[in-house]
Amino acid sequence: MKLTGFPLLVASSLLLTTVASAAMRPHYGGTLHVAMQVAPQSLDPADITRSDWIESRNLLRLMFDTLVSLDEQGKLEPALAISWQSESGNQRWQFFLRRGVTFQDGSPVTTDAVAASLRKTNPTWKVFSEGEAVVIERDSPTPNLSSELALPRNSIAKREGGKITGTGPFTIAQWDAGKKLILTARDDYWGGRAFLDTIEIELGKSLREQTISFGLGKTQVIEVAPEQAHRAATEAVRVESSAPVELIALVFGPDSKSAEYAKQRQVLALSIDRDLLNTVVLQGGGEPAGGLLPNWMTGYEFVFPTALNLAQAREVRSEIPHTTSWTLGYDLADPTARVIAERISLNARDAGLGLQITSSSTADLKLVRLSLVSSNPEIALSELATALGLPQPKFSSGSIDDLYTAENNLLQSQLVIPLLHMPTAWALSTTVNNWKTNRDGSWPLPRVWLAAEKP
Amino acid sequence: VIFRPMTFRRKLLAMFALMVLVSVTAVAWIIASLTRRTFDQADEARTAASVAQFHREFNRRGNEVVNRVETIAASEGTTRMALAVSRGSLDYGPFLNEAHAVAESQQLDLLEFVDSQNTIISSAQEPAKFGYKDAHFSPSEVSKDAFLKQEDLPDGAALGLFAVREISLGEKPLFLIGGSRIDKNFLSSLELPDGMRAMFYENLGTGFSAQFLIAASGPAQQADRVAPIVQQIQQQRRESTTLVHWSSDAVDDETITAIPLSGSDNQLLGVLLIASSRRPYIELRQHIRSTALLAATAGILLAILLSGWAAARVTRPIEELAQAAREVAAGNWNTQVPVSSRDEMGELAESFNHMTRELLAQKKYLVQAERVAAWRELARRLAHELKNPLFPLQLTVENLLRARQQSPGQFEEIFQESASTLLAEISNLKTIISRFSEFSRMPEPHLQQIQLNDLAQNVARLFQGQLQAPLHVPIECKLELAESMQPIAADPELLHRALSNLVLNAIDAMPQGGTLTLRTRQADDLSYIEVSDTGTGLTPEECDRLFTPYYTSKPHGTGLGLAMVQSVISDHGGRVSVQSEPGRGATFMIELPRNFSKLRRDVLSGNATSATARNT
Repeated sequence: MKLTGFPLLVASSLLLTTVASAAMRPHYGGTLHVAMQVAPQSLDPADITRSDWIESRNLLRLMFDTLVSLDEQGKLEPALAISWQSESGNQRWQFFLRRGVTFQDGSPVTTDAVAASLRKTNPTWKVFSEGEAVVIERDSPTPNLSSELALPRNSIAKREGGKITGTGPFTIAQWDAGKKLILTARDDYWGGRAFLDTIEIELGKSLREQTISFGLGKTQVIEVAPEQAHRAATEAVRVESSAPVELIALVFGPDSKSAEYAKQRQVLALSIDRDLLNTVVLQGGGEPAGGLLPNWMTGYEFVFPTALNLAQAREVRSEIPHTTSWTLGYDLADPTARVIAERISLNARDAGLGLQITSSSTADLKLVRLSLVSSNPEIALSELATALGLPQPKFSSGSIDDLYTAENNLLQSQLVIPLLHMPTAWALSTTVNNWKTNRDGSWPLPRVWLAAEKP
Repeated sequence: VIFRPMTFRRKLLAMFALMVLVSVTAVAWIIASLTRRTFDQADEARTAASVAQFHREFNRRGNEVVNRVETIAASEGTTRMALAVSRGSLDYGPFLNEAHAVAESQQLDLLEFVDSQNTIISSAQEPAKFGYKDAHFSPSEVSKDAFLKQEDLPDGAALGLFAVREISLGEKPLFLIGGSRIDKNFLSSLELPDGMRAMFYENLGTGFSAQFLIAASGPAQQADRVAPIVQQIQQQRRESTTLVHWSSDAVDDETITAIPLSGSDNQLLGVLLIASSRRPYIELRQHIRSTALLAATAGILLAILLSGWAAARVTRPIEELAQAAREVAAGNWNTQVPVSSRDEMGELAESFNHMTRELLAQKKYLVQAERVAAWRELARRLAHELKNPLFPLQLTVENLLRARQQSPGQFEEIFQESASTLLAEISNLKTIISRFSEFSRMPEPHLQQIQLNDLAQNVARLFQGQLQAPLHVPIECKLELAESMQPIAADPELLHRALSNLVLNAIDAMPQGGTLTLRTRQADDLSYIEVSDTGTGLTPEECDRLFTPYYTSKPHGTGLGLAMVQSVISDHGGRVSVQSEPGRGATFMIELPRNFSKLRRDVLSGNATSATARNT
């Protein structure tokens, strides 16, 4: 009994191991179904908007490449350009292209094509080809130019006759503006063929529609609101989150950012209970923000206070003879934003300030939600300052002290009150393999492969 | 303005119209009063029914809220929360949207989970309020029934119908406060009769604020009109009814009944306003008015017809009597009126006819008597007139016979004297007879246009020589002629004879001399010519009989002169009269019409006669 049973057991074990290892081994093929809230009307990198930055960036990266790219640490990596150098005190830059790269229509990527693409996106730049190099000349020293070229808007695209093509790992098979995008993998992609054959992306789908589609097994990747991520995880849904890549902050309008309201702004900043906002409203899905940039990006954000200090808020409030009742605007389409705004209004009332929430666009201060557009902190801070209407930070040495000083100066101006940093999160089907979310929230789709559906 | 007295028919018409108008007005007023009273009673009843319905709906909604809150209290989620509360390690995060989700599922507008410390764990109406105290709730005031409560919301305070349940799974209880907001949806759920609507004032501040007044369709319009009612309720806390004018048009008026609504602590939280439109009543009143107006118009028209008919029945005999009386006055004494009924009017007509018959008989008798008297007078006058010449004739003839017998020698001489006497007396007789003959043959006047002033001057000129004779008594002849005399149509010869007669009489009346005055004057369409003397005058009896033929006060008068004058003037359509007193002279006044219409007729008939003559 034992003699006859052991070989059978061994044989069956070997068979199971072979089947299992085959199922876990990356393989090519399959169609990945993705649903998203964004509904872009254009796939041109030049049209990318700041409001849908992360989602649009992830889409663009499937079809387009940049000259250089940033890794999770914000370090530069070669992409279409294999090397680069700066001259004249970072005013003149030369980028040498990777050989043999072609656009999706088969035409080669030339220095002229790259220069034309960059000129389209950056009309103020002086871009031209010089031999085998693409030369960019700026009016002033631009030490972060190479990092800036890693932004999605600087993706290299070929625009001909209303059609646009890129050099990315996927090519456009079908484009129904704002509704659907079908991409197919390029076999001749310079970085190697993606495992997936096709990606079908449903656009303009609400979170509820995405959840239903996901529950029905029609979609394998959907977006999850940060405050829902924890709950989804408790319901045995596989959730992948990025590092905090969005900032929720209060920005003062023209009427409320004058110097006479500095103390009132200080009272408001001290009265906000960021911890409760994060733990209750965001269900622990974010991080209280004392700085504009998240700690993972700078390493010093913890030095900026985030804790509620109602006593000090009231003390400062007592020093103000007359306060002005402000209005707080928020995004009507975002239910979480409303709760946050209401909570801030309640917190402000505790400190003796009148703060009425409103959906009007002419509010005294606004609750904004901004993406960090780059893993390079200097680029990210500059872009944030631009988006918030703050003075542009100045970097001299590129050191961390320099960055801290620049950010601290922005915060000391008291024209913005950081509230929370938020990650982006996706729910994944069990068939999606090798999804390792980057910290900056970018998709790792070229590495992803699909397991066969269980019978 | 010429005032003409109303005829009997018009008086009758006015009386009928007035009676109809008064009757219709009285009936309309009575109907309008009854209608208003009935409408007010119906309005009160409808308002009372609406208030009762509101209370029923209020209670029903309250029970509904209670049931829903109890359902939530018994749910698994609430139990889980209660367990978390009882453990004391409460994390608000998992419950952030709990109240909102449960409230939605149970169709509650307001829902909060509160712990024993009055701390909000989860709030549907204000999710961000977790960790804060509910200022309007006290666990000690938990009631089984629904109650009215104020709730602070991010966009301001609101009122709701709440129910509270306590879930105690340990030492620390959990309170569930659920409610339905009293808003326009609540008002629209009230099934009010046609013409009624409900408004609600949320008493969330001091005084009146228009933003707190809501109607079923949203914010109430013209809220300021309701302010006094709300303020009255805020002060007196008792139900009141007021008439509100929303516009100048009365059909927009509404009767508003205000009902105070208090919370558990007897604080005035709201005022329910039940508005009842006055439109049906106003329209009915207008309908009554227009109907009354129509009825009055029809009544007045009917009164006109009735008065016409009544006039035919009542006033016509009177009018006939009046006409007959006028004819009698004009001399037509044989006038009779028809007797068409046997009532008082018939008797009156019969009496009138009897009267005219009697008058006619009396007239005939008088005429006959007068005619006899005239004949007697004529006979006497003739006898008297003829006797005077006959007596000398007899004496002369007897003297001739005596002379022939007794003194033949002187007969010739006597014969000559007697023959001349006889001829003279015979001449007198002929004169007398010719006068009578002339009077009997008074000619018809031949009219032509004349001026009375010319006539007066001619007559005065005729007698001027006689009056200025040396042996004549001194009589002054004066002419007082009006300048604006209008021409008249008259026979100048006859008028000359009539005026001459009057002048002769005047001269005869002044044997001692005096003043003779000829005077003319014009009054409207009548022309006057007067002859005045300063003679002996006439007694009233003489004045009355003066124009009677053959009457004379003179020793040798025939009594035909003034009769002839009256005949001439009468033939001209005029009148002659006398004014006199004894010793103060007399004035004869002739009144003549213009007579141009007669002149035209005479001309036409004259032409026709001439034409006939020429044709013949």
